[in-house]
Amino acid sequence: MTATDFQVVIFDSVSSALLAEKILKKLDIPFKIIPVPRHISSDCGVCIRFSARERERIEGSLAGRVGIQTILPL
Amino acid sequence: MKKEIDARGLACPQPVILTRKALQDNDEIVVVVDNVTARENVKRMAQSQGCEVVIEGDGKDIRIHMTRGSSCQAPQPATSPEGPLVIAIGSDRMGSGEDKLGSLLMRSFIHTVVEASQRPDTMIFFNTGVRLTVAGSEVIEDLRELSGSGVNILVCGTCLGYFEIKDQLAAGTVSNMYDIAEAMLSAGRLVQL
Repeated sequence: MTATDFQVVIFDSVSSALLAEKILKKLDIPFKIIPVPRHISSDCGVCIRFSARERERIEGSLAGRVGIQTILPL
Repeated sequence: MKKEIDARGLACPQPVILTRKALQDNDEIVVVVDNVTARENVKRMAQSQGCEVVIEGDGKDIRIHMTRGSSCQAPQPATSPEGPLVIAIGSDRMGSGEDKLGSLLMRSFIHTVVEASQRPDTMIFFNTGVRLTVAGSEVIEDLRELSGSGVNILVCGTCLGYFEIKDQLAAGTVSNMYDIAEAMLSAGRLVQL
């Protein structure tokens, strides 16, 4: 897989990231917790990386429930 | 004329994202921000891209000038001392105090080790750290990748036995205190978590 296949969800806080993790795990959607890439920010914590094809499911399951700042291609 | 980006009033990480985009198409830009955190983030990102950075102004009107120069290279990683780089992981969490946070940090750390330009020669797992190396662990793919690329992964056999998970080992090799102590004592650099 190439890097362009991935996107990241940037959260408004670490607790939002933890909450999102709980939700996605329950739904069995594959993802990975990674540090927010340095080129995006040098001190904004962790984010969730996922395969671009999961974007709709991810957005659908997190929207309105978790504080999301933005979703970006990696 | 320099391209100017007004990033005032934008939340982190937006100023950095806008700057990075602008640097892709321009060799010389000015970014205006209204807080010190944004200033530092933009500055670090630009420097990591090999840009020369000049800052003027303060308070709510900070102007960051960036020039991409061939003479300005990205900082080189520090040279490593003689001997292998060893990472010793004695817990399935990074730091102590808050377990959920510690687990999150550990996953984030191991991911970063996989992505790092300098991978360790040896990684040692002991005490609850061995839980990271068994089936079902959140970092098992990362550890397999490290192992596959030549990182020697030693897993404390006593610890696997204590937790009764020896049969679930999914990355690395079962090791003993002789090998573990020797790897630590002969390390050029020992990073202990």
